[in-house]
Amino acid sequence: MDDFEKYIKENKHQFDDYKANRSKMWSHIESELEIQKGIPLWRKLPLLKIAASILILFGTFSTINFFITSGFNTSDQNNIVHQELRDIDNYYRDLVSFQVQLVKNNPKLHPKDKKEFLSFMDELDEEYKTLKLEMTKNLNNEYILEAIVNNYKKRIELIENLLKQINDSKNLKSNDSYIL
Amino acid sequence: METNILYTHKDLVEQSKSGDRNSQYQLYELYVDAMYNISMRMLGIKEDAEDIVQESFIEAFKNLKSFRYESTFGSWLKRIVINKSINYLKLKKIPLTPLDQHEYHISEEINDQVTTIDIKKIKKGIKILPDGYRQIINLYLLEGYDHVEIAEILGITISTSKSQYHRAKKKLIEIVKIL
Repeated sequence: MDDFEKYIKENKHQFDDYKANRSKMWSHIESELEIQKGIPLWRKLPLLKIAASILILFGTFSTINFFITSGFNTSDQNNIVHQELRDIDNYYRDLVSFQVQLVKNNPKLHPKDKKEFLSFMDELDEEYKTLKLEMTKNLNNEYILEAIVNNYKKRIELIENLLKQINDSKNLKSNDSYIL
Repeated sequence: METNILYTHKDLVEQSKSGDRNSQYQLYELYVDAMYNISMRMLGIKEDAEDIVQESFIEAFKNLKSFRYESTFGSWLKRIVINKSINYLKLKKIPLTPLDQHEYHISEEINDQVTTIDIKKIKKGIKILPDGYRQIINLYLLEGYDHVEIAEILGITISTSKSQYHRAKKKLIEIVKIL
């Protein structure tokens, strides 16, 4: 390095001639960050996509249930409905278990929260199995269907709570996950 | 000792990661002038530099979770500003390197030396350098990047970075002498 280079490097602070318009620039930055905050969470978090898809699945399933159970009366038709319902049920159960598996494998979730979430899900699964058993006895039982819908609602609520916990945890100071 | 340097403003960075607006503002206050000066030196236009610095802070805060203290926060942010400025120049089709691109591997030292070094003249000289020369002088002498880093930033080879820097420096000395 020659003297010319050395001189510039040693005095480079003297090349900072400009002063930023701090307040103007910050207000722009802040407004952009606020917009980001306002973007629906499901677009930012993969887990929320899972939740959204579960929501859609449950919604579809219950709608189909109502449609099927109110639309058919004869025993032949009931058999078809049973089969159809079973197929739908199997399909969505597989999807839900896949989503639960995703939650299990999600490394961003706190193990305690994950465990709690999964144990509640298990309880609701058990309840759902009982309800399903009841429903097979009588496809037109509105109370059972209502209970099934409530079961779905609880699952959704559970997922919402989990998501809330994830968001809350973002605001806590934690050094656990940082690579130093 | 090194740890202290790398972890400068760690608390602020950590709180900013959690989305704490006050901490983000404090970081902004600490670095905005430095970043603005970098961008002004590269772009030369106030409005453009403001846009680039704003975008850089927004990007930095949005992606702060990916910051792992592999460098200081300042140098991480500076790299964002530099990259954005370079991309902006590319978009405007402003040459990032001198137009006479032929690579000649200079081994000879530049004999021209400035007898009296005046910071004002150097600053003026840098401003009137051709765009490509100015960028490489800025990156090497003022921003402190080495030729490996400059090659990466500008998308050129290391030897091109070296040869063009030497030519840019020679040109700058010539300008400073006649000012």
